[in-house]
Amino acid sequence: MLLELKGISKKFGGVAALRAGNLTVQGGEVHLVMGENGAGKSTLMKIAAGMYRPDGGEILWRGERIGFARPADAAAAGIAMVHQESLLAPHLSVAENIFLGAPPLRGGGLVDRQRMREEAGRLIASHNFPLQADWRVDRLSPAGKQLVEICRAIQRGSSLIIFDEPTSSLSESETREVFGIVRKLRERGTGVIYITHRLAELRELGDRVTILRDGETVHTGLLAETPANRIIQYMVGREVSAIYEREPVEPGAELLRVEGLSCSPGLKDASFSIRAGEIVGIGGLMGAGRTELCRALFGLDAPEAGRVWLGGREVKIRSPREAVAAGLALIPEDRQRTGLATALPVGHNITMAHLGEVSRMGLLKLEQEREICEGFIAKLRIKCESPKQRAGRLSGGNQQKVALAKWLLKQARVFLFDEPTRGIDVGAKVEVFETMDALARAGAGVLMVSSELPELTQVPDRILVMRQGRIAGELPGRSSQEEIMKLAALERKAEA
Amino acid sequence: MIQRLLPFLTLAALFIGLALASPHFLTSTNLSSVIRQTAVINIMALGMTMIIICGGIDLSVGCILAMGGLLGSMAMGAGLPIAVGVVAGIFTGLACGFLNGLMTTALRINPFIVTLGTLGIYRGTALMISNGLPVHNLPPAFSFLGEGTLLGVPFVLWILLVCAVLVHVLLEHTKLGRYAFAIGSNAEAALYAGIPVAFFTTAVYTIGGALTGLAGMIEASRLMTGQPTAGQGYELQAIAAVVIGGGSLRGGEGSVVGTLVGAFIMGLLSNGSDLLGISPYLQQAIIGAVIILAVAVDELRKRKLG
Repeated sequence: MLLELKGISKKFGGVAALRAGNLTVQGGEVHLVMGENGAGKSTLMKIAAGMYRPDGGEILWRGERIGFARPADAAAAGIAMVHQESLLAPHLSVAENIFLGAPPLRGGGLVDRQRMREEAGRLIASHNFPLQADWRVDRLSPAGKQLVEICRAIQRGSSLIIFDEPTSSLSESETREVFGIVRKLRERGTGVIYITHRLAELRELGDRVTILRDGETVHTGLLAETPANRIIQYMVGREVSAIYEREPVEPGAELLRVEGLSCSPGLKDASFSIRAGEIVGIGGLMGAGRTELCRALFGLDAPEAGRVWLGGREVKIRSPREAVAAGLALIPEDRQRTGLATALPVGHNITMAHLGEVSRMGLLKLEQEREICEGFIAKLRIKCESPKQRAGRLSGGNQQKVALAKWLLKQARVFLFDEPTRGIDVGAKVEVFETMDALARAGAGVLMVSSELPELTQVPDRILVMRQGRIAGELPGRSSQEEIMKLAALERKAEA
Repeated sequence: MIQRLLPFLTLAALFIGLALASPHFLTSTNLSSVIRQTAVINIMALGMTMIIICGGIDLSVGCILAMGGLLGSMAMGAGLPIAVGVVAGIFTGLACGFLNGLMTTALRINPFIVTLGTLGIYRGTALMISNGLPVHNLPPAFSFLGEGTLLGVPFVLWILLVCAVLVHVLLEHTKLGRYAFAIGSNAEAALYAGIPVAFFTTAVYTIGGALTGLAGMIEASRLMTGQPTAGQGYELQAIAAVVIGGGSLRGGEGSVVGTLVGAFIMGLLSNGSDLLGISPYLQQAIIGAVIILAVAVDELRKRKLG
């Protein structure tokens, strides 16, 4: 046995990312690791590669207990990781990146550039990779960058290589290229861990599969003996605690209509509509194009094709300002980066998008502003000392309410919620759903992007499932988690 | 709390210390000279406060000051009324600031680079227009702007107070100010909130330029010449005043009161060193150390706040 991970646990700021991660890998095996977004796959792999230190559990390497203090320790032992987002130095050459951290030296500690170039060239040639040693890395395609990371792993003589969702950013031909490399590595007796959440990739590649759910390993077995349906069941789990039950309302007139919206590279030919009073869910795996859809609608990216109607009138939205003016509101996924100015007071954040409502001729009516903010703080039960408290000091759930309050000052017609419950506790989640429901009841349309299958099955009236930039299908509200997962993960041919 | 008040306490301590240490400090001649010396930097620093709050920086203000002073003086030298000359100087500064803002937002170049470039462009233009020669033939009455007295205090103090109140109102009571804080604190979030980020960023640079143009006219009035070489190194003093007063180069933080205090701390340090006979070489080192100390204390306070 090459690597054994036993009962690994890891917390980030009080939140358990891993509770009981178990995994064993042999040489000459391709071991798939699967799980929903946030199941703990990447955390477990980063622990194996020495990037995080586990809080509990043990790691055995070739049968011996071992602890990695930093990535270099794992690399020295023979574990390499090919990252989803390339961790290369973009301004250096392919050869320099392959030998990054351990370049060949000559006398006096100087780097032997010529030997480095030659060895890199030989390595690339022996695998027939479409690369050249002196190319600059930032000019390479995503697949090319991964090839460089793979070269680095091979060059170091790694006996275990971890691929973290390598194909999520790759084209079909590039994906086949990566698969070919994985097979070659297996033939040479290298152990391969391959994280994926695309089922179609499975059969072609894996020997065994380990499935994680909520930070725990729930199943390990031979891939040939685990049918796709069973894998989906393991991934989504059985227990569906009732988070929120929504009484659907009779939908009114069509508020938002989108036809053929495309925005390369992430969004292809999206068409759908939302009616007043509706909550429409958008499901899909990471990188399926959900955030891209929100961004294109809100004028943050310029779509190259497609038409959008708001309240029956065709609109051209080229900037967030025009989106706001047209009656759209976006509550983005990343509150710290895009949703809030965390260093500014709560009150300033609440009125930020509609300052015109509390000012006359450019002059702010501070007294009125304070009253309005206090009103929202009470109405949405935002826990804060006063409107003057810095937004960054609130809890995640309260921050989300502030990000939402921003759009209530002058009510928008269509609300785009991107992962509205990310990083907030259960109580706050319910409050967010209640607010969404209230908005819909007041006649707004709500689009809710979510990676949380339980809430997708319970909150929306309809669910659109995206896959690889396209809307792969529509499901009625209260569809099962399996149905959503199948649409999200299976290729068309596998569905048939 | 004590740390937030530190700039004020420093200023007060400096004032009391100098009053005790030198019999020449608390004289009206000396105090008005401090005010006159500090006013130019102070007015520039007010504009810089807005720019820094908005997440930007303007390294070209020293050269804008020269451009404003020069063109205003040339207008007066050509026989135009004093008021027209002053307005010409202010508008020159405004135009320079507008160009800085436009290039920062339209070309999406880092303001540090843009204004490093315009620093050279504005200085070069001022030298070319004037052939490198100062403008001397200014109307005698023009000296009132920088050297005159109104109701017993230097006229520049009134100008400074009006500008300070104006900028304070802009920052704390208008949409523009609120947007400046939002853009500086998190430009991405400001964009997501539908704020026309480019427009307001440009507006802030433009206002900063206009204030600097005014400072240029005051400088010209004090010297009674329009100098194409005026204002060298002033940009760093203006930035230092903002930073000592609690402004953050990361944006989103700063205040008019803080900047005034920062500018006066530097003014008193320099005046005090003169009175106490401390070498001007050492003065520079002291002011440098104060800048670092002020920022270090402020960072400490923010880290505690989390």
